[in-house]
Amino acid sequence: MPAAFSGKRLRLLLCLSLSFSLSGGSPAERMMATQTVNQQTHGSPSDHLTLGHNISTPGPDLATKVFKQASGGNVSDVTFVEYEVLLPGVSGTSVEKNITLDHGTRIELSCRLDNKYSHLKSLQVTWKRGNETVRHINKTETSWSIQLRISDNSKLGSYSCTLKGEEEISATFHLQVPKIEGKEKPIISYEGDTAIMICKSFGYTPIAWTWYMTNGSEQIAINDTLLANKYVIHRISANVTHMKILKLTKEDSGVYWCEAAFELGKSKGKLKLKVLSLMVPLKPFLAIVAEVVILVTIIFLYEIYSKKKEKSAEAEKEFDQVEQLNSEESNGLENSSARHRKI
Amino acid sequence: MPPPATTGRAPGPPDGGWGWAVVFGAFISIGFAYAFPKGLAIFFKEIQDFFGTSYSEIAWVSSIMLATTYGAGPISSVLVNRYGSRPVVIFGGLLCGIGMVSAASCTSILQLYICVGFITGFGLALNLQPSVIIIGKYFLKRRPIANGLAMAGSPVMLCTLAPLNQFLFDNFGWRGSFLILGAILLNCCVAGALFRPIGPATASVKSQMAEEGKSALKEVTEDAMEMNSPTNVPMGNKTEDEGGKDCCEKINQYLDFSLFKHRGFLIYLIGNVLMFLGFFAPIVFLAPYAKHIGIDEYSAAFLLSILAIVDMIARPTTGIIANSKWVRPRIQYFFSFSIAFNGTCHLLCPLASGYTGLVVYSIFFGLAFGMVCAMLFETLMDLVGAARFTSAVGLVTIAECCTILLGPPIGGTLIDTFGDYKYMFIKCGAVMVLAGTFLFIMNYYNYRMLAKEEKERKVKEDPKQDPVRTENEGRNNWNKETAQDGPELEPLRQEQEGLKKEVNGTNEV
Repeated sequence: MPAAFSGKRLRLLLCLSLSFSLSGGSPAERMMATQTVNQQTHGSPSDHLTLGHNISTPGPDLATKVFKQASGGNVSDVTFVEYEVLLPGVSGTSVEKNITLDHGTRIELSCRLDNKYSHLKSLQVTWKRGNETVRHINKTETSWSIQLRISDNSKLGSYSCTLKGEEEISATFHLQVPKIEGKEKPIISYEGDTAIMICKSFGYTPIAWTWYMTNGSEQIAINDTLLANKYVIHRISANVTHMKILKLTKEDSGVYWCEAAFELGKSKGKLKLKVLSLMVPLKPFLAIVAEVVILVTIIFLYEIYSKKKEKSAEAEKEFDQVEQLNSEESNGLENSSARHRKI
Repeated sequence: MPPPATTGRAPGPPDGGWGWAVVFGAFISIGFAYAFPKGLAIFFKEIQDFFGTSYSEIAWVSSIMLATTYGAGPISSVLVNRYGSRPVVIFGGLLCGIGMVSAASCTSILQLYICVGFITGFGLALNLQPSVIIIGKYFLKRRPIANGLAMAGSPVMLCTLAPLNQFLFDNFGWRGSFLILGAILLNCCVAGALFRPIGPATASVKSQMAEEGKSALKEVTEDAMEMNSPTNVPMGNKTEDEGGKDCCEKINQYLDFSLFKHRGFLIYLIGNVLMFLGFFAPIVFLAPYAKHIGIDEYSAAFLLSILAIVDMIARPTTGIIANSKWVRPRIQYFFSFSIAFNGTCHLLCPLASGYTGLVVYSIFFGLAFGMVCAMLFETLMDLVGAARFTSAVGLVTIAECCTILLGPPIGGTLIDTFGDYKYMFIKCGAVMVLAGTFLFIMNYYNYRMLAKEEKERKVKEDPKQDPVRTENEGRNNWNKETAQDGPELEPLRQEQEGLKKEVNGTNEV
């Protein structure tokens, strides 16, 4: 087997073995902040942040909320959740951090300059959200923070801290609602069959789920009570929703959205459905069956042919031998008669 | 009038020619039988979502399929004894196709169990046994190579089916894929068409000599103790059936239970049943173990690919080694060695640290796995002889069925109880080393007993020089594993001379 070919096979195998390692296929890194009082988070390998000292690896259970917090955005809470970013000394490398929030909290975002850069003087620090400046607190000589109370969707967004000195260093915090993942590959189903679409939220429990179908460029909500013999929507568990589409037709193909409503906003996942007619797999099926029939016929015909050849070859051999024996006998007779004569 | 000597000799196994086409057919058949249940795993997630079941309920589909493939062994053997390999394989292929096509229109998980599990599993069983059996009929001198090549079908098919299944799934969904897989399984019928029937006195030999030979053989077989391979004498078959047998001998005709008195068979059975307890579990748990010690998913899956590729190369290579004149007479020792080697790999696995260690383990494991699989049926053929192999393989597979199914769950329970994978590896390794040692010792004993019996027989028979008896015993005692021309084909040559003498005698008169 040439090396190039086996390399390709290896890659294919690799992709395949991945898909049938049935470990559940949990999707990749969402930025899950394990919220602990006072510190540092992350350690998700795909995170390209420069992290501070305490790097805690995300545990298997993603919703670790270690500290107590009143739910519902109760303002009287004094504790803040802190998110800190360590700034690199070199400008040009912009640092970003994604923070996922599903309900109202008070958070503190801080930018800290590493001690080795403390020689940099006359630094002007600004915190901005878009164009709007936010007032900040100087926590220490080398760290600055802002405190925010996130109570609704309008407060989410990107907050950045900028240090202007000889060079400009900045970092950005992105506050988001949890993302919902749909399926990248289309779900394939057949006319008359049922299709099941599943949406999951990882770690955060949405308040409600809504399903939309796309009609042209519009998204129309699916009302399953109205069309109960076509759509059935189930909330299997707090984080999982199912939608069954019955009696599929070609028109049901298209893009569907599942939307999870959180306290702080909504988040959508995309799913594609493809409805095929029964003729589509039937063609390869019939092609392969035809190939099988042809091969079997060829093999049997070849066998009959070679048996006939064998038979005729044997018949020839026997014929030759009979002739040989006849000639031997006649020779023998001649010899014996010759002997007789001699005597 | 005496026809030429070539048609007079009852033909031994061809050891080539059409035999290689048969090996190719067996390659496909065996490949499907072993690789298909594993390849189905790609569809399980989708089916699980569709029917709303738990993962374990879906995993039952695979287990039922595997259980049926092994458990239906005796039925397969009986059918092959009666009808020969070819019709059974063709029927098996049709059954597989029907099973998968009907699975495409299933509406409940129970229907999937029946269509995919039972029907397709049974079809695969009807593919597996006859393929292995017919190799024994076509090869003698080069049988280990033929076996190694045929068994290589399993990893090759697995490597082909895995991407193919993924492609089908992406384009046709699971229902369409099952439909197309049904058509693909029909290719087993093509493999079956290649299995031309063959025996010591085939129907194609039409000369007078052959007819006389057949009548002589008929008498011989009627006198023989066990009529266990009627396919060997296709012409004279029916007369034996009518010969007023009592119930035991009739059953023995279909499935040779007297094998349980055969020393070599019992040794093989016990050793193998023990071995299968620890055979498959490491493969099942290799990827999860890799992930457990912190390796990412892709690399963990790559370990299995390495295993499959090494396996693919190891099987034919082992066949060639086993065929060499140093190893063939002692093939049982080689088999025990490879089992023990396999066990040692598992015992050393917990010492492997990090990814490189696991890669090395996978390579050695693939090598050992291929060695054992390549010789699995060869050694059984070697012990019982091609004549009784049909029944032997059926009885062995149904006995192995239980331990094969128990192996991974026991491993899983060990992992769950202790929370550590190393106990599972230690258990598998220990079981296999034990099985290997047992087989080694018992086969040593068996070889000695056989040598003793051989000596006794030679002493008895030398004065008589009965060609017919020697031919019969020769056929019944192919467990003399010396594959060289001399000893093995000697009985056949003696028979040829004997028959020649008879003919010459009649002519002289």
